[in-house]
Amino acid sequence: MSSSLAANGDMLVILRHAPHGSSWLREGLDAALVAAAFGQRVSLLFQGDGIMALVPGQEPGALGQKGTAATLDMLAMYDIESFYADASALDRFDMAPDDLQLPSLPVDGATIAQLIASHRLVLTF
Amino acid sequence: MILHILNRSPGTSLVYRDTLSAMGPEDRLLLIEDGVLGALTSQVRHFQSVEGRLFALREDLASRGLEGRCDETVQVVDVDGFVTLTEEADKTVSWF
Amino acid sequence: MASTEIDRYLVVEGREVALDPEGYLVNLADWSAEVARAMASEEGRELTDEHWEVIAVIRDFYARYEASPAMRPLVKAVAQSLGAEKGRSLHLMKLFPDSPAKEAARLAGLPKPTNCL
Repeated sequence: MSSSLAANGDMLVILRHAPHGSSWLREGLDAALVAAAFGQRVSLLFQGDGIMALVPGQEPGALGQKGTAATLDMLAMYDIESFYADASALDRFDMAPDDLQLPSLPVDGATIAQLIASHRLVLTF
Repeated sequence: MILHILNRSPGTSLVYRDTLSAMGPEDRLLLIEDGVLGALTSQVRHFQSVEGRLFALREDLASRGLEGRCDETVQVVDVDGFVTLTEEADKTVSWF
Repeated sequence: MASTEIDRYLVVEGREVALDPEGYLVNLADWSAEVARAMASEEGRELTDEHWEVIAVIRDFYARYEASPAMRPLVKAVAQSLGAEKGRSLHLMKLFPDSPAKEAARLAGLPKPTNCL
């Protein structure tokens, strides 16, 4: 748990939905990619069910729908490298912070409030 | 000050918990759409931690016939008040 | 995303290859080096070794990430594979004028990049 932030930036994208069940997660990642493609410094916060995006070993949907795992791998190519994970959600889902698809800093509520304050623009998905 | 806007009822969605934990000490919370159910006297306990910083949109209360059931600790604002809250905030964050 | 609307056909080695209104392949599986050459020659261009190595990089990017890159990540991918000298937008602008990310994706038989305007 950390209360000191690695970085602030232009945009914080909060991802609150799990993969596959809806298009929210994909749309949030797309928004992050567009902003990064235009040179914005983007941070991602995986919150609530959104931390399911970080589970390793995801596959395409039953009908062959694309998942989001490949997109997460692609973020580095867009220089998106600040990842935060909601610590209480990690606890709730019994997920270990060192077993996530992307290296993410676990953050508590107070730190999330700081993250929101320290980014110029905040989008929730 | 950041204005947080919540449109889900505490009875159907737990998003309000994440909203509250992400709020800074000066931040305000505006309940809109189904979110106004949280402003009812029977529900407002969920928002105890932001008492005095809790707002609800009059139009959404009125359309649901709930204006009279809104707890007195909640500050009711109309759409113009919504605009004012937005103007007073550094930014707004939507929760849904 | 790849469009499914067929605008016209490009005849390559006696085979009809469907193109969408912006000239991208309708069926990504139709791609071959010959198709790329035919697409380029329609615009009066000949593909050199320098084009082909970028086409290989962008196809590899798509295979890995399931998406066509915007300009910045394309530059980064080219720099990683082909070195810093070639991983510059100027080099890509020279090879694929106007909009390198779009044109390179088109010639590589990939969907139009979605996250670049």
